Amino acid sequence: MNQEILFAENNEHQLIKHCKRARFYFIDTIVLFSIAFYRKKFILLFLISIGLSACTKDPAAPNPDFTEEEYYAGGATTVFDVSSAAFSGPATNLSAERLLLHMEGDAAFEATFVTAPAPVNSGLGPVYNQSACNSCHVLDGRGAEPSVFRLSKTGFDTNGGPLAIPGFGGQLQNLAVASVVAEGEVIMQYEALLKYFDDGDQIVLQQPIYSFINLYQPLPNGFHFSPRVAPPVFGLGLLEAIADEDILKYADPFDLDKDGISGKPNYVWNQETLSATLGRFGWKANQPSLLQQTAAAYNEDMGITNKLFPEESSKLQMQYDGMQDDVELTNELLNAATFYVQTIAVPAPRNLEDPEVIAGKKVFMAAKCNSCHVPRHQTGIMTQPELANQIIYPYTDLLLHDMGIELADNRPDFQATGSEWRTPPLWGIGLTQIVNGHQRFLHDGRAGSLMEAIMWHGGEATGSRDYVKKASQKEREQLIKFLEAL
Amino acid sequence: MTNTLLKFQKALFILSLTLFIASCANDDNIDTSVKFDATQVLENIPVNVITATYTDLDLGAENLVIAVEELAANPTSGNLLAAQSAWRLARTPWEQSEGFLFGPVETEGIDPSIDSWPVNTVDLDAVLASAAVLTKDYIDGLDGTLKGFHTTEYLLFGTDGNKQPGDITIREFEYLKAVTQSLQGATKQLADSWSPAGENFQMNLINAGKSGSIYPSQKSALQELVNGMIGIADEVGNGKINDPFSQENLLYEESRFSNNSKADFADNIRSIENVYTGSLDGTSAEGFSDFVIEQDKELDTKVKSQIADAIEKIESIPGTFGEAVFNNKPAVQAAQDAVRLLQQTLESEVKPLLDKL
Repeated sequence: MNQEILFAENNEHQLIKHCKRARFYFIDTIVLFSIAFYRKKFILLFLISIGLSACTKDPAAPNPDFTEEEYYAGGATTVFDVSSAAFSGPATNLSAERLLLHMEGDAAFEATFVTAPAPVNSGLGPVYNQSACNSCHVLDGRGAEPSVFRLSKTGFDTNGGPLAIPGFGGQLQNLAVASVVAEGEVIMQYEALLKYFDDGDQIVLQQPIYSFINLYQPLPNGFHFSPRVAPPVFGLGLLEAIADEDILKYADPFDLDKDGISGKPNYVWNQETLSATLGRFGWKANQPSLLQQTAAAYNEDMGITNKLFPEESSKLQMQYDGMQDDVELTNELLNAATFYVQTIAVPAPRNLEDPEVIAGKKVFMAAKCNSCHVPRHQTGIMTQPELANQIIYPYTDLLLHDMGIELADNRPDFQATGSEWRTPPLWGIGLTQIVNGHQRFLHDGRAGSLMEAIMWHGGEATGSRDYVKKASQKEREQLIKFLEAL
Repeated sequence: MTNTLLKFQKALFILSLTLFIASCANDDNIDTSVKFDATQVLENIPVNVITATYTDLDLGAENLVIAVEELAANPTSGNLLAAQSAWRLARTPWEQSEGFLFGPVETEGIDPSIDSWPVNTVDLDAVLASAAVLTKDYIDGLDGTLKGFHTTEYLLFGTDGNKQPGDITIREFEYLKAVTQSLQGATKQLADSWSPAGENFQMNLINAGKSGSIYPSQKSALQELVNGMIGIADEVGNGKINDPFSQENLLYEESRFSNNSKADFADNIRSIENVYTGSLDGTSAEGFSDFVIEQDKELDTKVKSQIADAIEKIESIPGTFGEAVFNNKPAVQAAQDAVRLLQQTLESEVKPLLDKL
């Protein structure tokens, strides 16, 4: 009940900002509360009638192009912030007590680890990529360049996942504590790739070329690798809260409806259930839950062992410290960090009344971007209470799609082929510059603008991309305006 | 039904009703009831507070480099004290910059090179014992926990507060020289990133709402500023003071080698004061206050007095913070309460004013 009150208080806070829609819901809430708890009082009816007349006297004109729901991309968690803190706000419907847990997780997310033995934050490495979560997920936002490179050799491991490379494991750790050697480094170069719109305008794409150098031992011939940018971490709890069946209803792995769009679920190894379950996080949907995503990042990216991954990533390698100090992360901190990423608010879209944004939405729909970037979902109930039953606008189907040879990493990941990628959410994408100071997109950050990202789309998205190629310059600008408003 | 439950339901009903009425009462103030031209505020703060603080920081780091060089050349007690003092003087503008941790300090990944914590002492020992040539470039390539203020602090002050020049080895002098040069490289990068002569990030705030700025409106620039102030109040009240205090464990005290914590905390609150008043010396210029005062004069007075009170309460903690955590709990508690109160006011009274812009 406490939570309901706090929820109501938060509602009130948002309502002042966006009264247009919220006040009607609010009246519902009040009526429900009141009827439930004070139904015998006749005064209630009187108050409600006064209230309704007072509040409905001046209804703001609805925006015919965006529903009232769309103003709250993250449902009741939505935060209204257009600063560099836009990706870092706690869900606005957290109770005071739950906010404390969120803040504990926030501190864990910022904690910097050091080499063991140490009295505070012990256990870094021996090989690692970064010493703190927020070193890659800066301000909970998007990285500009790949922060990790996944590695594998041809074949599958016993759980159906990528086959680790002896001496390297599943990821290149480019840093190491002082007593051991790092696995190697990657140098990135770009090659210009000229593309044209149908009206003759040109756009220069940058094709990345990677070289692996300073390797502590040779990588085997024909090894597979996949560069991965740190994705934004807000709103993930809401995506986790979408029921499996609500994702699977968009699945069409064999394109039986012949619309050219597959939508393939990835089934990935789940360390908690010890079985294959639906994957939904990561660029190839190779993580089934935020707990596992978080635990895997601690282990692979920082060398911090935990209950889900109790062995060092360097085990069986010459860098293994054999310190017998595992696990290095308490369950409390792992759970707090997980709760943190589950309960970061989604920033609200902006400028939805702008005619250019409205026109851009029409281009988005006409180009059928929404076939994969499915705008609207409703979360289920098997989740944290703040995340349950929310109408959200993430613009993703969380499914895999073939994106063509130019974007392919040629590294299979469970059911994902070398050219399949999970549709990434688009919410908040227009705030990337303000939060992270760059506009680099896609799994490896190769796109230097939203339009470049669109033009890299291939495979199943060829039709949508070609629609944009064919569109007038004005329509293309409108499309970008729409994306920037998200 | 128990009486308690009835009371609770009654309270709930009244609360609902209050919110209901409040929501309706606010209908007339939705959207853009407040007009405020923030041009002067946004022309002043980025230049005379933020960039000026970073310039001071870079100067402080330069002086630290020189003091360390003199100490290495002539390791006397006087030179050690001078180097320690230079560390504190450089630390001041850094702490006074933590009320605006946005822009290049975050997006260019500069913060970890300046202020990573804790120190990776295991690796530091290993590097010192190694044959590595300790140059600025070498240190630049190390993880943040092996450089910046706290690694320098560890080497200059030692762990027991009784460092003597004779305790510092030749390798440690080499490390100190390189690590302070590396620190100054980072402070220069930061100062340049805001300076009109460099990447000129300040123009984004100055031109907020105009094309070319990353801030789509003056409101979003003001949001950035208030979020920065709230962020550091939260960090001081719920992190820097709270972690060592609530756990009675000085291993969680950030500047424990130098016993500089009280100065750190007070300078963090001064960072809020500087943005709020629009100047570095407490005089009143075009600051965030200008916006608040137009909406709510009483709130403005309250913020200013809570800032002053928080600084006063921090500075009046007797002895070092580390001692007070055990011996003067009420004084530490009073400082923490004052900081949290300021945070609360900024978050629940000042920030909501922006919603009406």
